[in-house]
Amino acid sequence: MSVKYIPVQWNRFKWYYDAAMLAGVAAFLWLFIHIAPGLLSHERPINPQVHNARAFGACAFVMLSIILASGPLARLDRRFLPLVYNRRHFGVLTAFVAVTHAGYIIDWYFAFSKSNKYEALLFANTSYGQIAGFPFEIFGVFALICLLILATTSHDFWLKFLTAPVWKRLHYLIYAAYVSVVAHVSWGILQDQRNHTFTAIFLASAGVVAGLHLLAAFKESRDADPVADAHGDWVAVCRADEIEEGFAKIAQLGDGERVAVFKQDGLLSAISNACAHQNGPLGEGRVVACFVTCPWHGFQYDVRTGRSPAPFTEKIPTYNLTVKDGVVLVDPKANPPGTPVDPVNPEGV
Amino acid sequence: MDKKPFFVGYLPIPEGLRAFLISLTVSLVVFMAFVGITIGATQDDPGNGAFRFDWRQQTVTGVIEFVPYPILRVTEGNERIPAGHTLMLTGQGKSTIRTRVQPMAGDLVALTGVILKRGELDMMQVAGGNRGLKKVDGPAPDLPAPEPLGRWKLAGEICDGKCLAGAMRPGRGLAHKACANLCLIGDIPPVFVSSQPVEGSEFLMVAGPDGTRLPDRAYDLVGAFVQLEGDLERRGDLLILRMDGDTMELMQ
Repeated sequence: MSVKYIPVQWNRFKWYYDAAMLAGVAAFLWLFIHIAPGLLSHERPINPQVHNARAFGACAFVMLSIILASGPLARLDRRFLPLVYNRRHFGVLTAFVAVTHAGYIIDWYFAFSKSNKYEALLFANTSYGQIAGFPFEIFGVFALICLLILATTSHDFWLKFLTAPVWKRLHYLIYAAYVSVVAHVSWGILQDQRNHTFTAIFLASAGVVAGLHLLAAFKESRDADPVADAHGDWVAVCRADEIEEGFAKIAQLGDGERVAVFKQDGLLSAISNACAHQNGPLGEGRVVACFVTCPWHGFQYDVRTGRSPAPFTEKIPTYNLTVKDGVVLVDPKANPPGTPVDPVNPEGV
Repeated sequence: MDKKPFFVGYLPIPEGLRAFLISLTVSLVVFMAFVGITIGATQDDPGNGAFRFDWRQQTVTGVIEFVPYPILRVTEGNERIPAGHTLMLTGQGKSTIRTRVQPMAGDLVALTGVILKRGELDMMQVAGGNRGLKKVDGPAPDLPAPEPLGRWKLAGEICDGKCLAGAMRPGRGLAHKACANLCLIGDIPPVFVSSQPVEGSEFLMVAGPDGTRLPDRAYDLVGAFVQLEGDLERRGDLLILRMDGDTMELMQ
């Protein structure tokens, strides 16, 4: 939540998060670059440029795998949500690591000729019509462009400028980048491997990412939010006594939107389930210090108005609701964001 | 209703989540370290090719021929490069030395440069300027004629001779294909690495038929395991395969 744009809204957890992230990346690179050569019994060492390129490339792949695993992990077990909290920093660092990998490759394999090295990257191998020897570099180029777009637009300025739905769709590019990286590695280094340790790690990582997404999708389809039943112009969300103080019940409306009905101070209020920040699931959050708090990044809203507490300016739609015969009924036509709605007594009106 | 500890980034970490997050953090850092050292320490041997800077620059005398790639038939060598040896020649980086040595084809010359060597395969990167290339007074001696060794069907890999000889480690394979192509476009001598020794040698210079350069079709299959046919000849101690591009097939 912010009232002005600053580079990073630091808090203590973000410092911890970034410190852990940097420690992991530093450990990976230091061991790979400085310790591993001493453990290899090669007559002559791998060229440092190639060795470093491999270190940064492998590191970027592992980082990308962790980033992509964290989303479904958090959906399967909410204790992993802190991994997602500062994931954008992880993504930006991954882009830097990937750029370093590309730099080593371009300055080594595509340098030393009379051609421009960036042009050489595109024309040196043009065997696009075959599998063996396919120019796998192009997959890496595509993935790198995706990562740079994501890193560049990771700041909240772009989130606000593009709006959360557009920003989120744009950031689904991470999946295209990952698939492209998998192709880049599969058509590249894996083709020449005689020791298959990296192959095993690579396949296991990609398999875990894919498996976690499938598991999370299965869980979400099994535990899908109920579709609200139509009651004339209103829709039934749940029974009023099912909602606990400080928590919500979520229901799907006919138009695909979701409504979250919260109980606060014994009274019921209905708001959009989508946080204005990144469309996080507000209904999976809870009331903290009198405000509904998003489980993803802690954005807060007054449940009676759909407005963030001053001086913040975020707004979400509210819904009119009523209770009839113990059933919570919501008007599926959302009010404009930030429209105050009087809370309703669950005992009925 | 979910009664688990509720994490809010800007608030203190809930007590019930603290131990889990510490364990998770330590696990991820250890995981990254483990994966880094494991991948780093299990890389394949890139071979023993290298620039022999430890030999310093070598000077040898011989006759330049084009097959069509420039080679030097050594007539007066030294303790490392004996007379009778045939050296493949290259310029700096991914560039040929063709234009520099073309006017001296068939002449007796003294070449100075750095040797790249991988097993029996070697190549000289000729030094720049007059120091690298000097015409030697006197007529070129008669050299043994090329020895035809018949038609061969071979399996193996086409590489660029310079990276393979040690300019890059590793310097072969499909991951290196674009770099190899760039060298070959730069007219670096191509080399065929045979899966079985041919006339006692694993490495053969490879060219097109009738004194032409590597066929265009070969560029698509550089770095791949291929089968091809061609006429073999020996010049000095260098085997040259004049491949027939139409016979080249990708091996599975």
